[in-house]
Amino acid sequence: MADPAVLELESIRVAGRGIPRLDGVSLTLRAGERVALIGPSGAGKSTLLAVANGLIRPDGGTVCWQGEPPARPGSHRRRRQQARIGTLWQDLRLIEELSVQQNINAAQLAGWGWPRALLNLLLPLDSEACTALLQRLDLDPALLSQPVSGLSGGQRQRVALARLLRQDPVLLLADEPLASLDPRLADELLALLLQEAQPPRALLLSLHRPDLLRGFDRVVGLRAGRLVLDAAPAALDPASLEALYAGSAAAA
Amino acid sequence: MRLAAPLWVLAPALVLVPVLALLPGLSHGGGWELIGQFAWAAFTPSLDPLVLGSAVQGLGVTAGIALLGWAASLVLGLVLGLLSSRTVWRTLGGSAWPAEVIRRLLALPRAIHELLWGLLLLAVLGLKPVVAIAAIAIPYGALVARMTSDLLDALPTRQLESLRAAGAGPIGALLTALGPPLMPQVISYGGYRLECALRSATLLGVFGLGGLGAELRLTLQSLNFSELWTGLWMLLAVMLSLEALLGALRRRWAMPQRFGLHQSGVGRRGREMVLAGLVLVPTLVLVAGALEVNPWQLLEPHPLPPAPPVDWAGVAALPWPPLILNTLVLTLTAAALAVGGAPLLLLLVRPWWWGRALVRLLWALGRLWPPPLTALLLLFVLQPGVLTGALALAFHNLGILGRLLLEASETGAGRSGRTAAEQALEASGSGARLALLYGRFSSVASSYLAYGAYRADVILRESVVVGLVGATGLGSQLLEALSSFAWDQIAALVVAYAALTLLGEDLSDRARRRLLAPPASAAPSLPDAVPA
Repeated sequence: MADPAVLELESIRVAGRGIPRLDGVSLTLRAGERVALIGPSGAGKSTLLAVANGLIRPDGGTVCWQGEPPARPGSHRRRRQQARIGTLWQDLRLIEELSVQQNINAAQLAGWGWPRALLNLLLPLDSEACTALLQRLDLDPALLSQPVSGLSGGQRQRVALARLLRQDPVLLLADEPLASLDPRLADELLALLLQEAQPPRALLLSLHRPDLLRGFDRVVGLRAGRLVLDAAPAALDPASLEALYAGSAAAA
Repeated sequence: MRLAAPLWVLAPALVLVPVLALLPGLSHGGGWELIGQFAWAAFTPSLDPLVLGSAVQGLGVTAGIALLGWAASLVLGLVLGLLSSRTVWRTLGGSAWPAEVIRRLLALPRAIHELLWGLLLLAVLGLKPVVAIAAIAIPYGALVARMTSDLLDALPTRQLESLRAAGAGPIGALLTALGPPLMPQVISYGGYRLECALRSATLLGVFGLGGLGAELRLTLQSLNFSELWTGLWMLLAVMLSLEALLGALRRRWAMPQRFGLHQSGVGRRGREMVLAGLVLVPTLVLVAGALEVNPWQLLEPHPLPPAPPVDWAGVAALPWPPLILNTLVLTLTAAALAVGGAPLLLLLVRPWWWGRALVRLLWALGRLWPPPLTALLLLFVLQPGVLTGALALAFHNLGILGRLLLEASETGAGRSGRTAAEQALEASGSGARLALLYGRFSSVASSYLAYGAYRADVILRESVVVGLVGATGLGSQLLEALSSFAWDQIAALVVAYAALTLLGEDLSDRARRRLLAPPASAAPSLPDAVPA
């Protein structure tokens, strides 16, 4: 019996100016699967991730999260669905003016009512959970009360990851999380993400560098809005990678 | 315990607690059916050609007064601004002390509200079209002068010095080095002043200085609500189109926004700007001709009634402490209601598009509706007093601050109308309201509050306006003095007002500087990565 599907995309089409940004993309992620999304710039990786987390409603095709179609935007059910989807944004999207702890706790806003949401802006809430997360990510718990705007790049990345883990999502999405990191930090972050993506979770991560694909279960390749590659990393040969990126320097 | 940024924005709204607790005691029972009739009349404005005709004519006069007063204030302000700039004096003569002196002197006309200027000029000159125009031009001119000289003196002088060192004449060097960076700021600020001038001209009309305001007041006092709404809807249409036009020009010419999270003022399309300026001049002449404005009339005082003997003992016997205290309470209550109310309303209606549209309409009405008329309306159901005046002022300023809050948060938002952080929160399942609170109010908090501090200072100046319709404080005392031509009292009260305003200006300047001080480590600006 196959593991349950966490994300099912079926014939997704997203219109663009002239050519579609995504064209007939079908992709299923099962619990425990860790999938790398590769492709040249402008191939539609970010668009695919935005469809997967509900930010973009596709012009054609269907999305299913854990077997459910997306509920009406703004509805209670949709919010519960969104709460199970965690995104690590390329630009992190931390709230600069708030403290590390308040940022991490922002992941709980889906479940919190007004009283706790307001209280979190006054007093540090759930310190133990946040401390445990920082320790797990190798950050000094003393940072909890610091404003996010004062952190270094690597620290910010980890705070964003801590927020993601505090959300405890089933579907983990990451949009080029390694792009702006130095090689050592990139390796560490990737290892952390792969380690967190255990069943029932699934991970879909887009990246630029084909040399980091080893830890994934599957690699899918996008080119000009179409899915042109779906293979285990071990089965990838240089020729198919070459074909995927061919002419991309000129196109980009 | 530390207040986080989003709470700073909401904290002033706590003033609602005492206000709502006091309101039932203020209500005098009756009058609700009048309020109901007033609200209903919004949907049934009078379409009688006679009413329409007089509203159009009144609106024309109001718009003309606004336009001429604004233009005069710009000319006056630019000249005085140059004269009170330290950089200009240093370049021309060497010493900067005359700039300081002029700057200090300009504080007085600035501290006196345009309505006070209007009533003082009215008392001295009698009812002439030029009175309302001068009433706007004098305080606005002093404001523009301050803005211009502040901007000028904040510009780096390196270019200017290098031009001078290369042998350029002082005037040529000033124009070349400081003109280009100054112009976009001045044009953008000048545009906002025109919006303010339209509101001021309406207000002056309420007190009988010409234009639509008088009709608004008369129809309100005679309970002719459907005729009142005819004028109101037309005024609203004019104001919203003016705001839209100026907003479009600012974007087209890439002018700085009033307070931008993203400073991008560079200035584009200089030829269009010059053309717009050239069109403006004959328009002004035509308007002046139509209104029969004669600037020489400013020099022809009309015969005053014999002044009563000066009675300084009587002046000293005025109840100064309660007068000043009431004015301050009025100002602070109104400011807190307006500053905290705008984000609170935005939060309340966030999930519904119709709610957002309704709030925008409410704010637009608040902006154009002169506070004394709101006070008159409130008197149908409430007793006169400090709180009634504060509510009227708060409603007006709520409209102004609400628009600013939207403007500020929209400069930081993408095409979806939400900031990136807000989008991220919604994508992780948080409701629209909490996403707004955490994701958007955080980033606008300090600049919004800085503007709020400036606004508190404007409200102090404006408190005279509701004082004039019977709310207690310096304003109502001033009206009494004006109607009895008690020049000694008028002088003392105006000086007291000016002193209070200057004190408030200083305090709000300090608050603003603290709020806008850059944090220890500036946040890197993040691009919007996900295509939306």
